[in-house]
Amino acid sequence: MDFLKSGLKTVLGAPEPGQQPSVAETVERLVERASNSTLLEDRRDACRALKAMSRKYRLEVGAQGLDTLRQILELDKADNETVNYALDTLNNIVSPSQFEEEEDKPHIPMNIGDQFTEMFIKDPHNIQLLLDLLDEYDFRVRLSTVQLLISLLTNRTKDIQEIILDKPMGVSKMMDLLSDNREVIRNETLLLLIKLTKGNANIQKIVAFENAFDRLFEILCTEGYSDGGIIVEDCLLLMLNLLKNNSSNINFFKEGSYIQKMLPMFNIPDNSEEAGWSPQKVSNVHCMLQLVRTLVSPSNSAQIVSNCQKIMNNVGLLNSLCNILMASGVPADILTETINTVGEVVRGDATNQEFIGTVIAPSYPPRPAIIVLLMSMVNEKQPFPLRCAVLYCFQCYLYRNEVSQANLVQTLLPSSTDVSSLTSGQILCGGLFSSDLLSNWFSAVALMHALIDNTTQKEQLLRVLLATNIGSTPVSLLHQCTLLLQQTTKLQSKVALLMLLAQWTAHCPAAVGCFLRANGAVACLVNHTSCNEHDDNDCLLQGLSAFLLAICIHFNDDSVTNHSADSLRQLLLKRVGLETFTAKLGEVSRHELYNRAAKHPQLRVAAPADVLVDYEFCKLFKSLEGVLIQSVQIKQENAVNEERQSSEADLQQYKQVIRLQDTRLSELLQQLEALAGQAASLQSALNDSLAANSLLKDENTLLKAQVSANSLPQSQPNLVQPPDPRIGEYEARIQQLTDEVTQLTRDLNVVRESQKNSTEELEKMKKDQDDLLELLADQDLKLNEYNMKLLTMVSSIEGDNVIEPEENST
Amino acid sequence: MAYAYLFKYIIIGDTGVGKSCLLLQFTDKRFQPVHDLTIGVEFGARMITIDGKQIKLQIWDTAGQEAFRSITRSYYRGAAGALLVYDITRRDTFNHLTTWLEDARQHSNSNMVIMLIGNKSDLESRREVKKEEGEAFAREHGLVFMETSAKTAANVEEAFINTAKEIYEKIQEGVFDINNEANGIKIGPQHSNAGAGGAGGAGAGGAPPGGCC
Repeated sequence: MDFLKSGLKTVLGAPEPGQQPSVAETVERLVERASNSTLLEDRRDACRALKAMSRKYRLEVGAQGLDTLRQILELDKADNETVNYALDTLNNIVSPSQFEEEEDKPHIPMNIGDQFTEMFIKDPHNIQLLLDLLDEYDFRVRLSTVQLLISLLTNRTKDIQEIILDKPMGVSKMMDLLSDNREVIRNETLLLLIKLTKGNANIQKIVAFENAFDRLFEILCTEGYSDGGIIVEDCLLLMLNLLKNNSSNINFFKEGSYIQKMLPMFNIPDNSEEAGWSPQKVSNVHCMLQLVRTLVSPSNSAQIVSNCQKIMNNVGLLNSLCNILMASGVPADILTETINTVGEVVRGDATNQEFIGTVIAPSYPPRPAIIVLLMSMVNEKQPFPLRCAVLYCFQCYLYRNEVSQANLVQTLLPSSTDVSSLTSGQILCGGLFSSDLLSNWFSAVALMHALIDNTTQKEQLLRVLLATNIGSTPVSLLHQCTLLLQQTTKLQSKVALLMLLAQWTAHCPAAVGCFLRANGAVACLVNHTSCNEHDDNDCLLQGLSAFLLAICIHFNDDSVTNHSADSLRQLLLKRVGLETFTAKLGEVSRHELYNRAAKHPQLRVAAPADVLVDYEFCKLFKSLEGVLIQSVQIKQENAVNEERQSSEADLQQYKQVIRLQDTRLSELLQQLEALAGQAASLQSALNDSLAANSLLKDENTLLKAQVSANSLPQSQPNLVQPPDPRIGEYEARIQQLTDEVTQLTRDLNVVRESQKNSTEELEKMKKDQDDLLELLADQDLKLNEYNMKLLTMVSSIEGDNVIEPEENST
Repeated sequence: MAYAYLFKYIIIGDTGVGKSCLLLQFTDKRFQPVHDLTIGVEFGARMITIDGKQIKLQIWDTAGQEAFRSITRSYYRGAAGALLVYDITRRDTFNHLTTWLEDARQHSNSNMVIMLIGNKSDLESRREVKKEEGEAFAREHGLVFMETSAKTAANVEEAFINTAKEIYEKIQEGVFDINNEANGIKIGPQHSNAGAGGAGGAGAGGAPPGGCC
């Protein structure tokens, strides 16, 4: 402080006795001197004084001096010392951190540096001034400029990135500093570039174009790779910035054969165990592993990942990583990250997957590395992040690789005779039924990954039998899982088993059938699904149960008679209801951990309690959710549709009827109106005619009276008729008819005469007939007399004749 | 993959003249009729053979839009070659060549080889710029000229390879300072002995697409 005061004294002259100038006044005078003095020395001294004050009184110096300082950068460029003071002063003003000197000044706003930055960059030309100063070779100026740029970038990254991009050669100038042979500048430039490249793809590409990777690998090499200091870490951080989510740069990195150049970074000397790992080395190796992962990250395009994976295997990088995995004395967090890295280097690449399948751990007895890793996974004593890493690595080992999937299931099948050595399948089964929840979850999920998109293995795994107790009949793995699902009360185990069963049964009717045959399986699911608790985790459980139940409906081949697709559907609709079912499925995708898991294949959780949902399961769920809801809806919808349709039809009908009646009504109304009109008109007509009638009657009587008054004289002439011509005609006719009558009378007389004659004749003949009849009767009498006579005569004759014949017969 | 030299190229020119398609045709031997607008800059690479030597081409395909012009300028300095492209069916893209050339000359190193390319030569019926005009412009400004079609691949190989030949000749003449990487030229890791051998091994002729290295 004394120095400061004396410094001020020399600049400002001795203060007036008894009157201490305020800080603001002092600053004002210094600023004025810096901008107006004609002597360079004066301006330089003023700047030096301002610099000295700027840490403690940055508010005052910044508020009054910003413009002047900027001006000095432009006008006093030639004097390095002055420019340097100005730069340092500016750097103090905009510094993002709080100075010790400021600690007793609570009134200074926290973001003061940010505010001054904003003021400084308001004119983009100011940045150009700084870029121009980078051309200055003077050590102090160059360093101060870089430092000022770092401060500005820290405060306003995006704005300054845009300004710098807009300046031709802006980025290139900074890149040039990386080749500065003064280490301090080079190192500060590294920090500057890390800030500059953060999240800006265009700048990242320009930096890469300006041979950044070459420079950085040179520095890495000279600094001794992983054994180097913090500069190594800075180089790696810059590389990470350049590559992260920048496919163009990753492509460039790959094409530029830089992957090969990474190899020396992973050379772990044999004596590392004795040498130990310094914290810096841990940081360095951690960054290197991040670098590898950035190249093969699952979020990159598949083609880039695949290309990089192949190169990594070809150049031996994968092998180096495996060496770290198997080396002793590697710190746990490095080991964890290496396991994750190995996972991503092999993920989906059959050759690399095969490679780590054959790595043998230097244990006794020698075991495959995969086995050793899985043993750690189901070991409660291992650190939690390490266990998660092993799961991820194992998932990557199985990812889209039917061979490794088959190999895992194979170790569980009865045919495998190799009983002596521990197999991956046995470890997972052990974990599945162990009392450690995390082991349950890890094992179930690991097993699940052997079944993804692999119906063959789903069916193969159905054949797996477990000997639960000595002497009892073996139980199938699926049934044991189902049993465990019913017995366990732990959320993690339940969720893990539900995910495993869902993956197992999806697209595999055989597994569905087997699951449905398990005792109590359906009841358990229905109970879980229809549960009504509202805790987040309970909702998840209900949703997963609903999901599995729906899978059992959708992929049901009706082979289990009492649990056919239809009967299950009815059960679900009756016990749960369609809306509740849909809502419960929805709960799954709303769960926080589900959403976190769905983002990245790697399980990224901070605490063991958050281990709940798996990425691949999320994929399965997403792909099936819609299908399943539809599948369950089918029948329901049909019914509803019919109902809706029938009611619709009814409605239509009613509407039609109403419409009909309506028209009818209006018709009738019209008719009525017409009739009423007619009636009225008729009535009036009637009235008219009645009136006319009475009028006529009156007239009539009047006329009659008139007629009777003068009828006689009037009727006489009426009787005189002219002679009718028809009369002559009638007379002639009468004459004719009279003639005819006389003629006929005459004829009649003649006929009567003849009739009289005939009657006489008839009388005569009747008389004759009577006579004859009389004669006949006489004759008849005579005949009878004779007959009698004859008979008596005959009988007398016969008496004689009878004897004779008798005599004759004897 | 060992190479004798590495050349950095940039492709510049108005938007829509087919810069990205030229690159795609050269690196992947395919044509994509509908191409997204290039944002900023995209990278591509391929190995070619010149004079029995393996030469790696790293190509930065720039965005033609005015908004990206300042970004594009950052690439001039470090490039050994530039393909300046116009569209023979659009007169305006030819008219803008002067501006492009000024920009390139201003920001690049003076030795940068510029190849003038009239693209879309397959669209003869819609031609607005005569081949002679292109030739004249190239002669006037000391450029190499060629008409290409990224669609039919006509002259695409030649455009990239001839540019490389030009650079190669300049190296032979000692014009380029090959030890200054800022010129966009790098000597391969085992230049002294691997040059000829590497070329023989690759079988020369058709250069493999830069898919793997």
